[in-house]
Amino acid sequence: MFGSVEELQKKLAACDYITDRHVVTIVYLALKLQKPLLVEGPAGVGKTELAKVLAQATNSRLIRLQCYEGLDEAKALYEWNYQKQLLRLHVAQTQSKDWEEAKQDIFTPEFLLRRPLLEALSSEEPVVLLIDEVDKSDEEFESFLLEILSDYQVTIPELGTVRSNHIPVVVLTSNSSREFGDALKRRCIHLYLDYPTFERELDIIHLKVPGIKDCLAQQIVSFVQVLRKQRLKKAPSIAETIDWARSIMTLGSKVVDEEIVQGTLNILLKYQSDIDKIYNKVSSLLPKM
Amino acid sequence: MEEKILEFGRLLRKGGLSISFSQIADALRATAEVGFQFKDFYQALACTMICEKADKPLFDKMFRLFFLTLPVSQHDRKNGDGQLVNTENAGYFIELARSAEGIGQGRGGGASPALLLVKAVRDGNYSLLNQLAQLAFKSLGNSKREDLANLEQLIVQAKVSIGWYEAVNRLERIREKEKVNEITYSRWLECLNYLEDRIKELLEEYFVITFGQDALEEIASAANIREKEFYQLNNIEIDEIRKRITKLARKLASKYARRYRRAKHGEIDMRRTVRNALKTGGTPVCLRYRKKKLSKPEIVLLCDVSGSVAVFSEFMLQLVYTIQNRFRSVRSFLFVDRIEEVTNYFHNKDIEAALQEAFSKAHFSYSGFSDYGKVFTIFATKYLSSISPKSTLIILGDARNNWRSDEKDFLKQISEHVRKVLWFNPQPQSTWDSEDSIMKVYAPYCRQVFECRNLAQLEEVIEAIL
Ligand SMILES: Nc1ncnc2c1ncn2[C@@H]1O[C@H](COP(=O)(O)OP(=O)(O)OP(=O)(O)O)[C@@H](O)[C@H]1O
Ligand SMILES: [Mg+2]
Repeated sequence: MFGSVEELQKKLAACDYITDRHVVTIVYLALKLQKPLLVEGPAGVGKTELAKVLAQATNSRLIRLQCYEGLDEAKALYEWNYQKQLLRLHVAQTQSKDWEEAKQDIFTPEFLLRRPLLEALSSEEPVVLLIDEVDKSDEEFESFLLEILSDYQVTIPELGTVRSNHIPVVVLTSNSSREFGDALKRRCIHLYLDYPTFERELDIIHLKVPGIKDCLAQQIVSFVQVLRKQRLKKAPSIAETIDWARSIMTLGSKVVDEEIVQGTLNILLKYQSDIDKIYNKVSSLLPKM
Repeated sequence: MEEKILEFGRLLRKGGLSISFSQIADALRATAEVGFQFKDFYQALACTMICEKADKPLFDKMFRLFFLTLPVSQHDRKNGDGQLVNTENAGYFIELARSAEGIGQGRGGGASPALLLVKAVRDGNYSLLNQLAQLAFKSLGNSKREDLANLEQLIVQAKVSIGWYEAVNRLERIREKEKVNEITYSRWLECLNYLEDRIKELLEEYFVITFGQDALEEIASAANIREKEFYQLNNIEIDEIRKRITKLARKLASKYARRYRRAKHGEIDMRRTVRNALKTGGTPVCLRYRKKKLSKPEIVLLCDVSGSVAVFSEFMLQLVYTIQNRFRSVRSFLFVDRIEEVTNYFHNKDIEAALQEAFSKAHFSYSGFSDYGKVFTIFATKYLSSISPKSTLIILGDARNNWRSDEKDFLKQISEHVRKVLWFNPQPQSTWDSEDSIMKVYAPYCRQVFECRNLAQLEEVIEAIL
């Protein structure tokens, strides 16, 4: 698929995803070892984005399973379409078919509702399966997932076994709001995505906010980086840096000063308590000119 | 190289990481993919062997010592493969390490080390900090193999030799006088931490280089925080354990929440279901369930907070209050030679703040020496009548009674009143009945007595009360 780490890095960059070599190395290893990649890190550092871009870079279809509390097999794997089956049974009754015959009719792929996991396993084309925010799902779901990720096959009693043609690229993301079981952890390649360094974030801003002056971008990024070191309920993410840079551009400001920051702080900080905490000490956090 | 990776895995296990065989197998495959170019090799091992972010510092330390330092050791010259160990790679971690000569006399001139240190911190001059670390390390001369057991002490000595405490003092005064802002101050602290870590690294490297594999294994075991005795913890480790307790609590909470949710309704009650189905022409439209009872224990904690037991009691309180939803009720008492209830401090409050308040405000100490006899007497006469007979009463303490009267009849009275008494003792079982420890006098009134010296044991015993 990819001959080298460098090649993958170039591909990702071509899809507007800028990241450090060590991140690419780990992604590369997950691809080569055909193991699920578990991406952890704070909100908004580009975990979901990485999976999307990976699909693009590998010319694969992205299939996304968004996790939430209470997610179960029926919603993740497959479900029989009861209504449709009932209707068909009804029709069968009027045609006075017996049960055996009717059963042949209703447990066929036509009545199967494919959910993302089955979709990914039975896909003919290569896929990237994104299992987003696994930490939101329950533990039971986790063990079910573990099963799937062990043999990449499922058995549907009425239809037989579905086995994937090629092991899909699996990316799991997590905000670590819950601890996973060790079994799942051990199955994965681990990538911890942290906030980007100053240089990386500057690159990202230039990429996502075309036309911004380097000097302004530098001030923006260095303020955000300082902000992240404060004790906050929620530190600003890359997405927020991007939004903030765009707003400042729109306001036509050439520099980042106290007034501008105070006026736009709500773009960077989502909690009122964080805003209150920072509002009055903005000037001490600004880079010295 | 395969053998080395296997051995590395073993070392990590010794350090407290749980590494499975399949992880090792993955690590082998991963290194084969990326080769031995140093940084890639590191990433290949890290992404297959580190399951939790919290494990990374230990992994890094062991990686550095095992792959970079150990091969330099005269002791273990057997490993001739040397793929990783060329000077350039070593430099990745060891940076300026071996350029130690002529530091004191260097550009610093005649300035005292303390002044140099203040300057280095204020300027954020890391290469100077590095040189100071070297200086501190050299001041210790050649340490003996046995000294490794007292690494913390060596570090203190090394810090003294470069005027650390004087420098910290000066920095504090400067901070006040010049109204240094928070950001700058936190940079200073970073510098100081860096210096301290650096000194420790140099010492560990020294021991590994001089004494080889054997010293490395000792360093690994010493780093295993789950096995570290509670009373030996330093402040950084206490913080680390607090974090791990929060994690443990989360794990327990989600485990039991799940069990509870699953048990929301019990089995199907056939009799009632069928009877109900008569209303709908025999089709069981509504299923009837048996009610499921899930027992939630009521617990009462009696915590010895004298001397070395205090840390353990604090951990236990933190853990119990973090998962207090698991219990019907939690009541807590602190004691040394007096006892007072502190339950109210924990109402609707941040646990950390509550702990601080309880420890500073409650009246639990008169002489500063534990007196279990006195405490059981007070508890039995003053509080026992208000304690639910369904309670599990948990005593946290070392049963060291300072040769005072044991008053075991009061503990007997207490144990007859409640459902059961459990005792968690943070001292090694081998010392339970020596000196002034009278565990065996009290044990007959306890359903069980557990040894609970470290985090690993705490993780086990907590299950006994859930
Ligand atoms: N390395 C990067 N290069 C370019 N853009 C990036 C990068 N990382 C993040 N972004 C931008 O940040 C946005 C947020 O990223 P994303 O939604 O992937 O975060 P996340 O880590 O999945 O967050 P959450 O935990 O909230 O789901 C993306 O839409 C993208 O525009
Ligand atoms: Mg996301």
